[in-house]
Amino acid sequence: MVGRIKLAGLIAALLVIFLPSFTLAQDVNFSVSPAEVHIDNLPLGEAEEFELTIHNKNEIAHNFTIATFRPPEEERRKGRAEFPDDSWISFSFQEIEVAAKSEASVTVAVAIPREQKWAGADWEIWLGVAAESSDLLAVRLYVRLLVSTSAAIAARSNAGLVAGIVVGIVLLGCGGYYYFRRKARTE
Amino acid sequence: MKAVISSIVVAIILALIFSLPVLAQESGTITITMRGANDISISLDETAWPLGNVTLNTDYYTSPAIEWCTLAVEGNCNVDTFIVGEDAEWIDNSSYKWTLSNSGGNGEHIYGLWFRISGDTTRGPLGDGYVPITKTQSEFWPYPNCSGSSLAPEDYKQFGLKLLTPTYFWGGRQMQTHITISAVMA
Repeated sequence: MVGRIKLAGLIAALLVIFLPSFTLAQDVNFSVSPAEVHIDNLPLGEAEEFELTIHNKNEIAHNFTIATFRPPEEERRKGRAEFPDDSWISFSFQEIEVAAKSEASVTVAVAIPREQKWAGADWEIWLGVAAESSDLLAVRLYVRLLVSTSAAIAARSNAGLVAGIVVGIVLLGCGGYYYFRRKARTE
Repeated sequence: MKAVISSIVVAIILALIFSLPVLAQESGTITITMRGANDISISLDETAWPLGNVTLNTDYYTSPAIEWCTLAVEGNCNVDTFIVGEDAEWIDNSSYKWTLSNSGGNGEHIYGLWFRISGDTTRGPLGDGYVPITKTQSEFWPYPNCSGSSLAPEDYKQFGLKLLTPTYFWGGRQMQTHITISAVMA
């Protein structure tokens, strides 16, 4: 009898309540637009902004979170490299509450550092929007962000340097010529 | 004197010659193009799976097994979908976890999660249609080497889940986990 009680106790101890959800299931139905954004010819050192719109189709308000995600190569568009640094993308809100049956906008800013190595690049990163939920299953919607940077910084720095050298040489030449000519006249 | 003035003029002209192309590039326009201008959206008609008490080293299936939840495409663009899981945590103290296996198997305090899409009979490592859900986002539909294509607006997929409990765990604790299904424009 004692053995049976011990066995029952052991079994009971091994049981666990696995409850993925403690509330009634509340489906979260929402959409995000646009589904894909291209930014072409983005000058290095400058920021560019656009808006994402989150549409809450439910009867109650929901909190949404926004974050970046770097997709693996096989999921990216052809010819697109991995976006180098998530910190170059910022959001006006990383978490936002959207009222029932309404929509809200999040401003996304993209700013690439003014460094020669980032010129002429084609990158892709995803912006994920998810509704906060305590349920087992959740939905996240990704917006593809494709960024192409301008190659202007290379041309500008080189051309400016060459122009400066040329102007310097000419002006020095002129000054020298004027100086020696005046000196010769004095003598 | 004339020679000096001429030299300065030449210098200015040279500077302009080099500067103008650069100035022209500075005025290049930034283009922002929005595709899929309406929206991207998917829905799930089941999101909770309250299992109640579970025992060691046992498979649990949703009911119905493979048509438990319907994923529907509600936006206006074709989508590729993905799935990712996470560790299960004790709701009273998240420091106690069941680690999500990266192969669908189990161990001490390690559990497995699987999904199966209705109609998939040979997918997965066991060839029975069930695919492990891991902590790394992987393809839900379509998947590499499958005959199907991206899901179009109004398309849907039905699927079910399987949970394999750890070979050993501490009892009497309420555990909670999350699975995220995501979509991106195809």
